[in-house]
Parts: sequence; C-alpha cells; structure tokens
Amino acid sequence: MNPEVHIPGWEWYYVAMYFFIAGISAGAYFIGTLAELFGGERHREISRTGFYIAFPLILLTPPLLIADLGRPERFWHLLFYAKSGIPYMNFQSPLSVGSWALLLFGAMAFLSFLDNLVSEGKLQSAPFAKAYSRIPRKWYAVVGSIAGFFVAGYTGVILNVTARPLWAATNPLVGALFIASAASTGAAAINLVMSWRKKLTDPGLPGFDRFDRLSKVLELVLAVALVLIAGRWAAPLLRGLNAVMFWGGAVVLGTLFPLAAGWYGTRAVEGRIPPERLATVMAVLVLVGGALLRISLLQAGQVQ
Amino acid sequence: MGSNMAECHPVAFRWPLKAKSEHGAVLMHVDPRFTRTSALCDIHAPIRAGTDIVFLGAIINHVIHSERWKTDPFFREYVVNYTNAATLISPDFKDTEDLDGLYSGLSPDGKAYSNATWAYQREKPPAPATKEAKTFTDLLLQRIPGRPKTDPTLRDPRTVFRILERHYSRYTPETVEQICGCPKEKFLKVAESLLNNSGRDRTSNITYAVGWTQHTVGVQIIRTAAVLQALLGNIGRPGGGVLALRGHATIQGSTDIATLYHSLPGYLNMPDARKAHESLKDFILTEAAPLSTSFWGNYPKYAVSYFKAQFGDAATRENDYGYDYHPKITGDHSHMPMFIDMAAGKIKGFLLMGQNPAVGGQNARFQRKALAKLDWMVVRDFFETETAAFWRNSPEIRSGELKASEIKTEVFFLPAAVVAEMEGTFTNTQRLIQAHDKAVDPPGDARSDSWFSFLLGKRLKELYKDSTNDRDWAIRNLLWNYEPEAAEAAEWRIKDEPSAYKLLKEINGYTWEDRKPLSSFANLKEDGSTACGAWIYTGVIPEEGKNRGKSRKGDDWISPNWGFAWPANRHIMYNRASADSSGKPWSEKKKLVYWDAAADSGTKDPAGKPVLGKWVAPSGEGIDFQPTKAPGFRGKDNGLGFDWLSGNDAFIMRSDGKAWLFAPAGLVDGPLPAHYEPYESPVKNLLYRQQSNPVAKVWKMEGNPYHKVADPSYPIVLSTYRLTEHHLTGAMSRWLPWLAELMPELFCEISPELAAERKIRNGEHVTIRTARGEVEARALVTRRMQPFLIDGKTVHEIGLPWHWGWQGTAQGDVVNNLTPLVGDPNVSIHEGKVFTCDILPGKKGGRA
Amino acid sequence: MPKGMFVDTSICTGCKACQVACKEWNALPHEPGHFRFDPVEKRPVAVNFTGDSYDNTGALGATDWRRVRFIEQFSEDRSRGRWLFSSDSCKHCNDAGCLNACPTGAIVRTGLGNVFIRQDVCIGCKYCIPSCPYGVISLSEATGTVHKCTLCNDRIHNGLGTACAKACPTGSISFGEVADLRSAADKRLAQLKGLGYGEANIYGYKEAGGLNVFYLFLDRPQAYGQAESVVVPQKRLPVSSSVAIAGALALGGAALVSFRERGSREENEEVKK
Repeated sequence: MNPEVHIPGWEWYYVAMYFFIAGISAGAYFIGTLAELFGGERHREISRTGFYIAFPLILLTPPLLIADLGRPERFWHLLFYAKSGIPYMNFQSPLSVGSWALLLFGAMAFLSFLDNLVSEGKLQSAPFAKAYSRIPRKWYAVVGSIAGFFVAGYTGVILNVTARPLWAATNPLVGALFIASAASTGAAAINLVMSWRKKLTDPGLPGFDRFDRLSKVLELVLAVALVLIAGRWAAPLLRGLNAVMFWGGAVVLGTLFPLAAGWYGTRAVEGRIPPERLATVMAVLVLVGGALLRISLLQAGQVQ
Repeated sequence: MGSNMAECHPVAFRWPLKAKSEHGAVLMHVDPRFTRTSALCDIHAPIRAGTDIVFLGAIINHVIHSERWKTDPFFREYVVNYTNAATLISPDFKDTEDLDGLYSGLSPDGKAYSNATWAYQREKPPAPATKEAKTFTDLLLQRIPGRPKTDPTLRDPRTVFRILERHYSRYTPETVEQICGCPKEKFLKVAESLLNNSGRDRTSNITYAVGWTQHTVGVQIIRTAAVLQALLGNIGRPGGGVLALRGHATIQGSTDIATLYHSLPGYLNMPDARKAHESLKDFILTEAAPLSTSFWGNYPKYAVSYFKAQFGDAATRENDYGYDYHPKITGDHSHMPMFIDMAAGKIKGFLLMGQNPAVGGQNARFQRKALAKLDWMVVRDFFETETAAFWRNSPEIRSGELKASEIKTEVFFLPAAVVAEMEGTFTNTQRLIQAHDKAVDPPGDARSDSWFSFLLGKRLKELYKDSTNDRDWAIRNLLWNYEPEAAEAAEWRIKDEPSAYKLLKEINGYTWEDRKPLSSFANLKEDGSTACGAWIYTGVIPEEGKNRGKSRKGDDWISPNWGFAWPANRHIMYNRASADSSGKPWSEKKKLVYWDAAADSGTKDPAGKPVLGKWVAPSGEGIDFQPTKAPGFRGKDNGLGFDWLSGNDAFIMRSDGKAWLFAPAGLVDGPLPAHYEPYESPVKNLLYRQQSNPVAKVWKMEGNPYHKVADPSYPIVLSTYRLTEHHLTGAMSRWLPWLAELMPELFCEISPELAAERKIRNGEHVTIRTARGEVEARALVTRRMQPFLIDGKTVHEIGLPWHWGWQGTAQGDVVNNLTPLVGDPNVSIHEGKVFTCDILPGKKGGRA
Repeated sequence: MPKGMFVDTSICTGCKACQVACKEWNALPHEPGHFRFDPVEKRPVAVNFTGDSYDNTGALGATDWRRVRFIEQFSEDRSRGRWLFSSDSCKHCNDAGCLNACPTGAIVRTGLGNVFIRQDVCIGCKYCIPSCPYGVISLSEATGTVHKCTLCNDRIHNGLGTACAKACPTGSISFGEVADLRSAADKRLAQLKGLGYGEANIYGYKEAGGLNVFYLFLDRPQAYGQAESVVVPQKRLPVSSSVAIAGALALGGAALVSFRERGSREENEEVKK
C-alpha cells in the first residue's frame, strides 16, 4: 500500500451520484425481472414498477459521467477507438467493460420500458406494437438484468482494482456491496413509487419485503466486513465527515434503522401513522443511506 | 574544503565521483554543514565557519611529526629540492609564537606590515651580466639579487622548515576539537587519509572555492593548503595540487583578461600612481626586478607587447609604447571601496554588465542607497534586476527611506544577449579555453557585451578624435580593430557584432609587421615588434585561422587536443615536480613529465653533434619547464629568468624557483598563515591574543556597524552560501519558472537543537537580524546543521542561501542586508562566509 | 528490444538537472499550483516551499514528470548520517497499471517498450490515475487529459536518448537497452556491496512485471517511498469480480426464496380453499 498513489479527483456530485442512480436503476430492474421470473401474477405490480423506473433513471446517468470527464466531447472514445472508429473494449479495465454493459443495460431497460407502455395500451401505433410483442420479453429482461447486475457491481470493482490504499484494502467486497445496495435502493425506489400510487396493499409486497430485508442484511454484513479487512487503511472511514456519512448515514439510517423498523416498527405504529407515510419515510432513508454509502466510500478513498 | 562542489559545480563533480566509484578514491568534505557534497563523500568532518586554518595547520603539524613523513625518503627529497624549506630567513624575523599572534614589521598604528624582516638571507649580489643597459631586460640584469642562503639539512633554526615547525606546534588535534568543534577522531581520520595517500605512488588533491576566499584570512587559508600540499609532495603531480573552483563559467577568463581593477591581462599589475610607476622603465623595474629570477624575468616582453596591442602604430619606443597615457589607479578601487566612494557622492556614472550589487553587494542596503547618489547608471542584463529597479521598488523605496522623486540617478536598462547568442570562449577553472559557437541572433534590441563595449569605444573615439588633450590620447589611439569580416557576419541578422576571432587573435598575440599569430610566448619581444593582449593565452591561435579553443579530441587523461589550457597547453602547473631531482618519474604510476637523457634536444653543439636530453611527456601534456634544461643544471648567478633557474627549480614563477612554504613577499598579512577569528565572532581567539586579522580591510563608518567579539545580542554564527538551483543573485535564475519552482522561497537552515531552543518549527517564518538589517526566511530544520562545542561552550551556526531578491518569479529578502563591509587585505574580497547574527521565530512584522 | 533507464542513486547529487531538462525538452509549463500571480508586477511568484529537505516539487504531476527525492537519515549525535537522493519518474512497467486501466486505448506501449499516452485519444476519465501503484500519472486541468513521462518518445524513436539522461552531469541516469543496463547495474551493485554498502539493492527486476526504468538504491525501497511488494491493481480483478458475481447470485437466491415461496404458499392456500 502506497499512500503516494494519486487521487483521481472524481467529483462526488458526478461520480458518486452516478453510482447511486445507476444502482437504483439496475436494482429496480433486476428486482422487476426476478419478481417476474420467480414470482408470478401477484408480483406483476412490482415488476411493472421496476421496469417503469429503470429506464428514466439510467437516462440520467450518461450526462453525469460525461460531465466528469476532462474532455467531455470525447466520451464516445469509451466505445469506439478514436483513431479508427472501430468498437473497442479493454477486458482488463472494468471501466471499459462497464461502459458497454451500461449501453446494453440501457438498451434493455428501454425495451422493457416500451414493453410496459405497449402492454398498457399507451403505445398505439400498431405496426410497432405488433413487432414488439413478438420478441420474447423475458429474454431481454434476463439479459438486461445480467447487464444490470454488472452495472450495479462494476463501479465497486472499479474502486477495488486501483492502488488507492482504502479502495485496494477493501478488496474484494465493494462490488458485492454495491450490488446489495443496488437491490436495497432499487427496492426503496419501487416502494416509494408504489406508496405514491397507493398500491401498498399489493399482494406481491410481503415477498418483496422479504427480499428487501435479505438484501439489507447482506449489505450490512458487507459494509462492516470491508472496514474490518481494510485494517489500518480504513482510517479515512473512521473519522470526520466520511465516518458520519458511512456509519451514520449508510449503515444506521440506510440499513439498520429500516431493518429494525421493519421488524418492530410496523406493529408499534400501526394505526398511528398511515402506512404510506411510513413506507415513504423508510424508502427515503434507504435512498439517502445508499447515496451516502457511495459518497463516503468515494471521498474516503480520495483523502490525502 | 571551503567549497560545496557537488552543489555549485555539479558538472565538474562528475570527475571526483568517477574517481571514487571507479578508482577507489576517498572523498572527504570538511565543512560546517552537511551538504550535497558531503552526501557523496566518504568522510564529512564538521568545523565551525572560519576555523579552516586551525584544521589545516593541525594537519601540517600532524604530518611533519608523523613517522611516515619522517622516514619515507620521498618527502625529504621533494621538500628539500622543490620547496623553500631549506631557505634561511632574516634573523630579525619574529613569528606569531614570539608576538602572540603578530609578525614583526607591523606599523606603529597597527594598520600595515612591512615585510623587510620577512626576507631571505642572501649571498652578496653577483656582478651584473651587462655593463650597459640598452633594453629593459638589460636593466633587470643589472639588478639580479644574491642567491638565497639555504641549509639543506634543515637543522638551522632559521630555516623556513624550523620556523614553520615551531609556528604550527600549537595546532594540535585537541586545538581542532576546541576551536573548530570537530571531534579529534574525525580530524585524525582526515589527516591520516591525506598523509597515507601522498607519496610516490599516490597523490591527493585539495579543492576549494569561496568557502575559503570570502574571509578576512581568505588568502592565508589557501596558503595553508598550498603549504600542506607542498609538504606532502602533491604539487605539480597528477592527481595532486590545489584546485580553485572558480565561479560561473568563464570567471577564470574574466580575471585572465583582467576585469579586476588592479591587473592588466595576463596578471601583470596595473600602473599605479601610488607606486614607483612614473615611467615605463620605473614600472618595469618596480614590478619585475623582484621577480626577475623567475619566469617573470620576461616581464618587459609581456608589458611592451601588451601596450603595443592596445595602441598599435601609435605605440613606439619613443613614447614608451604609450605608457604615459595609459590610466593609472590611485587607490583600492575594488567593489567595496568603490561603493563607499559612491555613497560619498564621488562617483558620477556606473556601467553594470551582468552584475547585481543591490542583492550581491555586502551590506546591500548601504550599496542600494549609494546607487541613489549616482548621476547615471547603465545596467545591461536579461531581466530588470534589483539594481535596475532599485529606484522604484526596493525595500528602501517601500519603507519610504528613499523616495523615487528624490533620486536623481538616471537609469538606462539595455537588454543583453545570452551566451548562446554570441560567439566566444569560456575559460574554466582549470585554465582550459574552450570556444563556443553562436547559435542564434539575440532577439530585438538585445546585444552582447562585446557589441556594446566595441560600439561605445568607436563612438568615444569619434567624439574625441579632434582633442589635443594628453588625457584623451589613449582613447584616440586605441587600436580597436575588431570590425567583423563580411563572412563572419553573413549568416546573422546583426551585422556589427565585433569579430570574436580578431579579439582572440589580439589576446593571443601576433608579430606586428605581418600580423602573423604567435604560437608561443617565448617569441614575445620587448622592442615593439610583437603585440599581445595576454601573454598567458599565447598559443591558443598558433597560426592564422586555427583556434585551438575549438578542438574537441579527448582521451581518458590529459586530453591535450581538447581546448587549450593556458599557459602553453600545460594542464598541471609546475609539472617538473612530477619527476624527482634526477629527472626520473617518482613512480611508474604517477609518471607525467620526465627527463629523457637519450632524446635529441633539437640543438647542436659547436662541433655540430646533436645535444642529447630533453624533458618528455608522452601524454601530450605541456611541459612547464625549459624543455632542454637538464635536471642537474646549475643556473647562472647573474642570469635572468630561465638562465638563473636551475634544473631543480620546478616552481618557475617564484623568484627562487621553489614552492613557498614561507612567503617572504607578496602578501600583506604575514608570511605564514595563522589562525585569526573572523572579524565577527562569538568567541575569543583561543590561540593568540591577536583576535582577528590585524590588517583586514575594515571601514568603521556610519551605515556599516560591526558587532563586538562575543556580542551577546548576536551570539549565532551565520554563513551564506549557494544552491544548485539558483545562480548568484538570481538575476538569471529567479526569473525562470522552472527554476523558481525548484527553490521558490528564501529559507534558513537551522539545527534541531537551536530550533528547540528558540521555539522554531520547520516551515515557519523566522527573522534573522544583524546590526545592518534583518531578513525573513522559512525555517528548514535539519540535522545537517549542528551546534559546535567551542572551548566547552555551545555555539550555534545557521546558514542562508543568498540568491533571493524582490524581483523575479522567486522572491525573497536580500540576505546581504545582513552582512558588513569587511574584507581580506590582500585582494579585498569580502568576508561573506562568516559573521554573527541573532534569530527569532516569526515574520519581520511588516518592516521592510 | 526494450529501451529504458537505469538510475544509479549512489552517484546522484540531487542537482535536479533531470527535472529541468525534462521540462525543457517537453516544453512543459511550470506547475500552476506552485505559483500565485502578482498583479502589480504582472508575473507569477513561486510559493511552493515545502520544508521537506530540498524537495519543493513534492510529487510527480501533469507538469512534473521527474522529481528528485531527498531523504535525510541522521542519528541525533550525527555519528551516523547520510543524505540520499533519488530521481523519481514513471517506471514504464512491463505490467502497467495505467495501461491496463485505460478504457479508450489512449495508453499504449510502443515498440521500444515505453508506456505512452496518446493525447488525442485520452478523454480524461482519470481511471489510470489511481491505478498507478507509484503515483505517477496525473491530470492536467489545462488539457483535460493525463500526462506523464513519455521516455522522450520522440527522441528515442529518432536515435537519441532521453533528455534527463543526457543532462545528468554524473551519469547517474543512463539510457539504453534494458538488457545492457541490467548488466551494468548488476556490476555496479556487486562493486558497491564489495565496498561495504550491504543494504544496496536493485529495484525493478521483478516489480510490476519488470520496470524499464529501474533503480539502484542504497537503502530499502521503502526509504525511497517505493512500495516494497508492489501489486499491479488489475491482479485483483478476478477475485473482485468473482465476489461481486457471488453477491449477485446470493441475491438471486434471495429472490428465489422470497418471491417463489410466498407465491407457492398462497397458491397452496388457494388450492386448499
């Protein structure tokens, strides 16, 4: 470990926000897919919501990534080699593979989004609708989800596969952590939309909540584990603003509290707080926690 | 010693490093600080600044009492034959041992020595070789002194050796520890290394720079080293000698061609109204008679050829070659007295070419204020130096002490050309002349110094061409024929740059009638038939069109075909001493110049048979001796120069042909080096009652206050020095961002012990004060600085690099605001390397 | 045949000619962060005094491609003391973290073995920056792309050596075929060991696949700020990816358990009804 390794200077309001939004999008998408694959009719609302929100969210991400570049106008070099225009990928670079995964995920998310529109009759134009319904939609949902898992996790792998002491010392957990967090934030986003649309008595919810709890447990275990394996190199996460964001924000507010509230809280406040309000508050906390998780890890790795 | 070679001569330092890494040489650095040089040396011996004579004197004492020196016959043979160890000194001479730190001959007012009692005992003068004096040479021949009396057994107490032995007897390892603050063991390690690495098969070199020269005892420090090296038999031998690291490129060339006020080119003395220099004959007799039994016996030839080169056809035998019209100096016009005169309003105009006294001058505030007394000043440089800008933004302007509206000095700033923009030569520290080409024209109006001087001279000649005043004769009749040939100027935009070739040819010398270059100074004449600007350079242009300064064929040793080393391409001076008294090399390993008895000398005897025997140097090295004089040759008692010198008189520039352990003449502060404390010192002189150099140049006046000895307000020793990244006053380096960012701010090196005592933290601001001024610097706390235990008391030493000024891209306070005007009495060099000060944490608080 | 440089720190005097020669040849500007602007005299003023011995450069950067380190090692009584110098730069690793990380193919290795950045391809994503285990490659705000030592790419492809090697007054930096430099280095190491420099070592034979710019140190690499067992970060890729995949699979399993069980129980209940 060499503390002299340079800091990349990734801005949290571009890069960490990208991690966050892409995570929600990917999480919502693969929850939607998993719900559809393993669940059934009763989980239709969940997967519909997931497929509705994934695409608009992922559409927000390219501007964030491009804005952080030193030469934003050259962003297309990520996909096509500048000198020849031929498609380019560097297998050793998670950033390179991730760019293609993002493209693939976005395409699939788009298709799923369209599919939602078509199946709800909102896309009237007939020749398109006909062509569309013939494509096996489960296949691209699966492909999209695999790409989605990649999009959710590769950003953590990017950090681990550098020489910055904190990021290197937390290897190999950050990718898995981000996937777990993507699941939990994706679930929160779905919850938020559903409570907004007053669909909280949806029969699919119990299974959904169970999945959500399991993903939060995984997230919690990974967050603590990564600090432990990093040993002395975890120091930036244990002091200052980064510590507040990581422990207070990500761990407590974003994971522990909603988990605890999920086990005890619903019964205690039943009747006193409308379930929609509760669900909204919890979802917002989870989302904030997810954002703070990524911000704190990004910033802590860039401490002098 | 007295230098930081790796820091200040990084390119030259390649060679000591090579000697160390490839040939097992031992490098030793004796210095108050642990510097970049120390980092690459095998031994670092710390000493308090200004105590070099104690250290070197103690080595002398150690050497001459050592078993090795006393028993190895090499040392006895070298010392008796090649030094004046055996010469008898006047019985009236009294040493520092007799007078508690003084020599005999000090004037009643204590301001000057007469060297009458330091003289050699001599035989009666011989009968002159000529009765009639037709030439200057004849005049000298009529004045040959008697040979010095000697005792080769070295037993007589009046021999130089016995005097020296007695003189240095109190310089012991204990004294070194007590006065220098250097642990005995370290000192002995250095002394033993030097001793064991000298002799037939091994030689040692001592290298110094301004760490020795910039003291009130500067010349004497160097003398101590010369004495030591002579005792060790290291002079005139490969790998030996005393090497002066001259300053930046071609400072050697500057002094050779005499930018110094008191020299003419080739180290002749300047005509001086205070001396018996009324006529050319007086000049030659006064200057040359005391030296006529050395190679300086040719003085008349060098002097007349010089005047001929200046005035050409106008210089005739009848008008003493223009001598009467040549300027004479009337006092000490060196830098410090000149500025004192300037401050008194005595100087009207000032031409500054590549000099920045506002930063580089001692007691810089004093010098900056003196500039305000001029009527006009011309500054030629690349950037607006602090001197050029003194009238508008110096600290004195900012504090209100001087007001721009009240300064009547008219300042002209003329842009100068850099070295790559002109053709010329460098003469570097080892006397090597190397030519350099012009790569590009300077931009815009920038011009070289030679262009400026040449054109200024032409305009002055034009202005005065109708004058009938005697005092204008010299300007009117200056030869000044440096017009460039069409071919020389063809490829350049600037067409009126003077011809570098013609300049060098004039310096080299040529026969007047046919203007053919001279190939040797042996061909110079005193009858006006030769012209020569600087006799030491003769041979650099041996024939028309051939400039040996351009040759670039090196080998792995002497490299005689790389450049041209003056004099006469001799790289190691006095190399006769590289062979023993019979002419054989001291050893195969150290063979350089030796006598080949069977070689054809090139002359024939009266019977027509070739005379055999000459000195040879297979390496191509120039032989610094008469080529055909046999080792056993006994010189003529009434001969001149080479005729007087014998086959064992290796030191041909000394009037007795010997290396001077004892200097009977030539120095104003003593024939033997003795330790005096620096003019400002925190301690008393523990060796003698005489505290500091009794005849040091001192100016007790308003604006130049000195600290008392052991002044409690200024208890800390301060030394100033240089860094690799910057150059002198920073006039060239502090304006370049690439260099500015390497060393951006003035800093002060402090030991952790002193930092703890004064509560100074690394990186913070500190203020350093003397009675002359104060400066602000960043603290660099480092163990490379150390406190010294002097006679049981802790004496702290700090250091400041002096490159900074308020202009440029790297800015800082002027360190020379702290120094006083005080200097060496022989050469007027300022004592910049050691004085006292005080240091406090924190900034100056807004004071300028 | 790969070309590179051998840096023999035992004859380095810390003069920084290498730093200046590099700037001069590559026409690099001064480091903007080291200067403030004087509005009165209208020129930049250097303010980067660090207090770290004679090193005011501080780190390699987009405009500082070479940087001399100064390491003072003195015992309190000064009985043992030395000052070590080392001219640091890009090592042109055979297994280069920066090259492996670059997503656009901007960082390439030329036929002479040096690692080179194509300024017209780089997008300034900055991923190479933390991927270099030696803290070399850096972003320039002015160009929006990354920069580092090119091993004087233009010079070496035209029969010349590197500018720093040419300027080095003591021959501490030498340029040539890596194989030749290695034998010279081995000889020099043996010589130094023979002279009693027991801690002397060569750094760069094994590190990062072999460094084309390698060093002779007089103390452990750590004393010179170089990682003793350097890990090229891409070595972590297999494990990092595998664990992420495992995480994904775990979630898939969690989904299986959550969505299906509930569903089937409901179905069973319905069926029971």
